[in-house]
Amino acid sequence: MQRLKEVDVVVLGIGMVGSMVAKELAAAGYKVVGLERGEARFTVPEFQSPAIHDELRFAVRKALMQDNTREPVTFRNHASQVALPIRRWESFLPGTGLGGSMVHWNGQTYRFQANDFQLATRTRERYGRSFLDPDLTIQDWGVTYEDLEPHFDRFEYLLGTSGKAGNIKGQRQPGGDPHESPRSRDYPTPPQKELFQGALFRKAASSLGYNPFPQPSSNLSRPYTNPEGMKLNACVFCGFCERFACEHFAKSTPQTVILPVLLANPNFELRTGCQVQRINLDSAKKHATGVTYIDAVGREFEQPASLVITSMFALNNVRMLLLSGIGTPYDPVSGRGVVGRNYTYQTVSSAEAYFDQDVIVNPFMASGASGTVINDFAGDNFDHGGLGFIGGAYIGAVNSHGRPILYHPVPPNTPAWGKRWKQAVIKHYNHTVIIGVHGSSIAHRGNYLDLDPTYRDAWGQPLLRMTFDFPQNDVKMSAYLTAKAAEIGKAMGAKEVAGSPREGPYTTQQYQSTHNTGGTVMGDNPKTSVVNRYSQSWDVSNVFVIGASNYPQNASWNPTGTLGALTYWTIDALKNKYLKNPGRLVSA
Amino acid sequence: MIAGSRLPLGAPKDVLLACALACALVSAPAAAAPAAAAPSAASKPGEAIPPCEACHGAHGEGMAAAHVPRIAGQSAEYLKKQLDDYAEGTRDNPVMRNFAKALSDQQRRTLAARYAAMRATPRPQATAPNAVQQARGHQLAYQGDEQRRVAACNSCHGPDGVGVLHAAPYLAGQSADYLTSALKSFQQDTRRNDAGESMRSVAKQLDDADIAAISGYFSSIQ
Repeated sequence: MQRLKEVDVVVLGIGMVGSMVAKELAAAGYKVVGLERGEARFTVPEFQSPAIHDELRFAVRKALMQDNTREPVTFRNHASQVALPIRRWESFLPGTGLGGSMVHWNGQTYRFQANDFQLATRTRERYGRSFLDPDLTIQDWGVTYEDLEPHFDRFEYLLGTSGKAGNIKGQRQPGGDPHESPRSRDYPTPPQKELFQGALFRKAASSLGYNPFPQPSSNLSRPYTNPEGMKLNACVFCGFCERFACEHFAKSTPQTVILPVLLANPNFELRTGCQVQRINLDSAKKHATGVTYIDAVGREFEQPASLVITSMFALNNVRMLLLSGIGTPYDPVSGRGVVGRNYTYQTVSSAEAYFDQDVIVNPFMASGASGTVINDFAGDNFDHGGLGFIGGAYIGAVNSHGRPILYHPVPPNTPAWGKRWKQAVIKHYNHTVIIGVHGSSIAHRGNYLDLDPTYRDAWGQPLLRMTFDFPQNDVKMSAYLTAKAAEIGKAMGAKEVAGSPREGPYTTQQYQSTHNTGGTVMGDNPKTSVVNRYSQSWDVSNVFVIGASNYPQNASWNPTGTLGALTYWTIDALKNKYLKNPGRLVSA
Repeated sequence: MIAGSRLPLGAPKDVLLACALACALVSAPAAAAPAAAAPSAASKPGEAIPPCEACHGAHGEGMAAAHVPRIAGQSAEYLKKQLDDYAEGTRDNPVMRNFAKALSDQQRRTLAARYAAMRATPRPQATAPNAVQQARGHQLAYQGDEQRRVAACNSCHGPDGVGVLHAAPYLAGQSADYLTSALKSFQQDTRRNDAGESMRSVAKQLDDADIAAISGYFSSIQ
């Protein structure tokens, strides 16, 4: 093993979070090394069409995702079962490579609401102590919406997000989301064009008394130059967003909004093809001394550093702490330990609205986040008293593509193959609207992440093991809200509406969402959290963990907007608190 | 000069003259104008048609030297949109504005369909691009430019710039002079009919050398 020259900061994973942190710290004068597991890649030439519009390669075979021939995740529904490796990604799609998962995201850029950050407190206040099943381990974040608001704002302006404000400093804004927590100003660019199906949804939702608004999109509605000086173009509605990279410089990704600035800074060094094995600790296990990684040709290196930032995909953040022995692993039997605890997901379902032949939807003309949605049933925006569950979902006509291999909606009871299936596909392809129900995920005592006792990766390290099923709370929520979506579908004038609520057991063989959250939960109490409110490890103060792994439970919305805010919040603490006086930022 | 919305068949001399003069004003020689006097295969007897062919040629082949584009085989949807945009002013051109304004919606549609159905033989270019331009043009067409944040032309205009129905016009075999003036007009905001400012965003990132390379490259594709 070769020991390299010490640097100030080593950043693990150069996705969006890693790029943001590295850029800020390098600009502040610190020597920063970024270690990226995957390959370097840029809009030109890697993301150009026609190669990037290869549905078989990218959507079916998932070429942009973590290589699960070398590094899969094992899965089981319950602790009584034996977990097996996921050999083909289906349910969720963790990305790999420079720029991370945001290279293949859809650009749906929401803020969580003030209530979400204090979910445990607010739920007790509104519904009483005994409302919740005691096995639901929800908790407050230790940080509030008010803390994060300036950082939400900064992140949206970094991305150039296209949207319509609903609440600026307490003033309701017509056309925006009336439920949104106050924002300091409007979005940097106006909303995306409304699709025909969005207009159908908007009219129906309005007629039922709901409050539709345009989905905030980071596929931009018009050209934009962000505060870093990066120029973005407007989206052309090619319909190849999720699972693909954007060739038009129109989707906000690290490559389009920040990486070029980071790479131009001589204080930063990017190393790709580097598989980090562990964060190294001193003998007392209270201080990190750096990291050990293996490069693309198999050479092992030790990179000493004063500060270690782990900014990998949520699941890999959890695994890195477990592999490094940082924090106590969670034990579901005793309920003690924290690392891997409160793993949550997203409870996604849909209602499919089948229209007559004269309603022409053109689903192929699509952008990742050009949707029309309502928040009337999201979070705690409606009274849960008597419903027997907490949480909610945004509901909307949010169709990101109509690609030929994977998009062929057919009504229930259609044969799964053969002539009648083909006839049904032809009949319904251009006359169907899928109304999405994007539901929250409530933490449950039995859902967690740990290291697999049997299976190892290509480098000999234990794989991450996922133990997860939908809590009854979320099954009830999905049933209630999918029925609401079906009602809207009927009001849209559909001939037939098929609502399919999410039911257990959770399966990894059907795509649902890549919103894997939790496992390195943040909070005020080291007994129930891995990191403090500044994303700093309680156990090893020179390790910061930034990711959706910090979410104590997942809310009704896509997690990226909130993750961007959390990242800028943490950067602020690093620059203005930690680096001025390294040590614990919060006493336990 | 053109008052009514319907024009008599056979292209009256005053209209032709107007066209020729206007062409001369916009760009260059109007030498090809007389060629259009004879009714082309595209016009049907008894049907009103403005004298498009005075400049765009009897077969829609265009007039390269005058920056007049080849429009034969261009999609009807694209051609109709251009006529609408000339009339509305989101695409600045004094000659075409007058012609387009004089046409009814149905006439625009008919003309667009007529030229869309034509298959003109490509015209040889006056000056072929040099090797450096050819290489740079190919690079921009197939790959784009990361530094300039320009996507490959073919991403929207199809492989080798053959055009994509409902989305983007063909570039292959188009006049280099016309392509240059089109990019310049996007660059200078005199053409503003691109959805999402997509062409203006691109053109403003390009310098004169790149514009010459792209124009030469696509015009050389037969």
